[in-house]
Amino acid sequence: MFSTVLLFREALYGALVIGVACSVLGVYVVLRRIVFVGATLAQISSAGIAFALWLAGTGLALGPLLRPTVMSLLLTLAAVVVFAGGARGRIPPDATIGVTYAVAAAVGILLIAKAASGEAHDIFLQGNILGITRGDTLVLIGVAVPVLVLHALFYKELLFVSFDRETARTLGYDVRRWDLLLYLTLGVVIASAMQFAGVMLVFNFLVLPAVTGLLLSQHMRGVFFWSVTSAVVAAVVGFSLSVPFDLPSGPAISAASGALVVIAWLGRRLLARSS
Amino acid sequence: MAPLVTFDRATLGYGRRVVLTDISFDIPEGDFLGLVGPNGSGKTTIVRTLLGTLPPLAGTVTRDHALRFGYVPQRDQVDYSFPLKVLDVVMMGRYDRIGLGRRPTADDRARAREALEHVGIAHLADRRLSDLSGGQKQRTLIARALVGEPTVLVLDEPTNGMDLVATTQILGLVRELHDRDALTVLMVSHALNEVANYVDRIALVVEGGFRIGTTDEIMTEETLTQMYGIPVEVDSFDGHRIVVARRRDATEAADRV
Repeated sequence: MFSTVLLFREALYGALVIGVACSVLGVYVVLRRIVFVGATLAQISSAGIAFALWLAGTGLALGPLLRPTVMSLLLTLAAVVVFAGGARGRIPPDATIGVTYAVAAAVGILLIAKAASGEAHDIFLQGNILGITRGDTLVLIGVAVPVLVLHALFYKELLFVSFDRETARTLGYDVRRWDLLLYLTLGVVIASAMQFAGVMLVFNFLVLPAVTGLLLSQHMRGVFFWSVTSAVVAAVVGFSLSVPFDLPSGPAISAASGALVVIAWLGRRLLARSS
Repeated sequence: MAPLVTFDRATLGYGRRVVLTDISFDIPEGDFLGLVGPNGSGKTTIVRTLLGTLPPLAGTVTRDHALRFGYVPQRDQVDYSFPLKVLDVVMMGRYDRIGLGRRPTADDRARAREALEHVGIAHLADRRLSDLSGGQKQRTLIARALVGEPTVLVLDEPTNGMDLVATTQILGLVRELHDRDALTVLMVSHALNEVANYVDRIALVVEGGFRIGTTDEIMTEETLTQMYGIPVEVDSFDGHRIVVARRRDATEAADRV
């Protein structure tokens, strides 16, 4: 079993990089109650991949735009700018996000139905974790490391504007710019991970590890620690079980994440009863 | 001495929506001003303009160049789902002094502990914010405002949703901060009876109208009846002033006599 897992070690490395990056950003996604924004960005990113695959089939010579990751990144960043700006109007912001989610999902499926590529359907639905190469892992690291460095560097600023926007504003913080930074990093990570991990796994890494972290810790550092740890454990366990049992890797990792949430929840309840 | 803040014929609002017009007043150093009015009357608009987060639509708002606000938001404006220790929350009041991308130092932590001591909850420094009572949360937010060494303390509805004991304690603490540290204070509230016995001056905002004066000037039946548009009575009990709206039937009976 171990040798079989080693055979796909690049895929495991890639999943770990995606898991670590998403689980750090996921703490903000969960605490700021923008889980639906995370899901919608993932869906838009996915639609971007579908759009690129469909365009490739039309024979149009659009150069780098035909690369799924490039198109995914462009569409996701466009959505990020809109979401970070906040909605102003009659329609509640979550309804706008809901509309975007539904439209992105529908358009993605329609485009993929007409895409020429035979593999397109699988990539669109589940990503292609096992197809991750050394080069892909390096690209993922190249995206994740600067994002994580930015988050470490500006931790207190991002925390402050997330926790108490009005007071941050009175101390001279440009809350919208910090929101934009958070959303941009979110968009870049989602778009770069989407082609490999798919909507479900990216969304899973954005939400479930952070929830595990919040269940296991009473302070921010602990939440980040447990969020990253649970993402790593879920990736290793889920992936290691998926290969020998011939299960799809993404859902196996997601199931492992779910199991960790349940274990954390039970552990917390037991602790609460005993104290 | 020049005032710390001057509103000069200022029109306040959001975009095209005008909330208040022709607002003129100033806040001198050492003032203890209560900004009072019903919900939706424009108190928050005045505060935002004062803090500089909302520009006036017309007129001018001038602030002393060395002015620094310590802002205490309404308690429900803060997100208690964040797993933050009391000390970490207080430290936020120094974030802009610490600087972009830098971490709090031992000195910042010591100052945060001092601020907590100042408001009487130093023993709660390592507790989680969400585990505290309403009054303790409010003291934490006041400590956060104080740790930034403000020239003006601005409190937005500091006693909202609190019981009588907590309300009295918080108002007493704010008065103490004003008296002991000679801190200039602006306290926003919808409860005239609560504020009137603690502040030195009152700015009354009711349905677009604005009136400012000393507590003695504002707390008269004539002024309050005119501002609120209903007959009111101002009584005194044990040195405390109490405003009571006259019952309609009693008023009508009096009119008939």
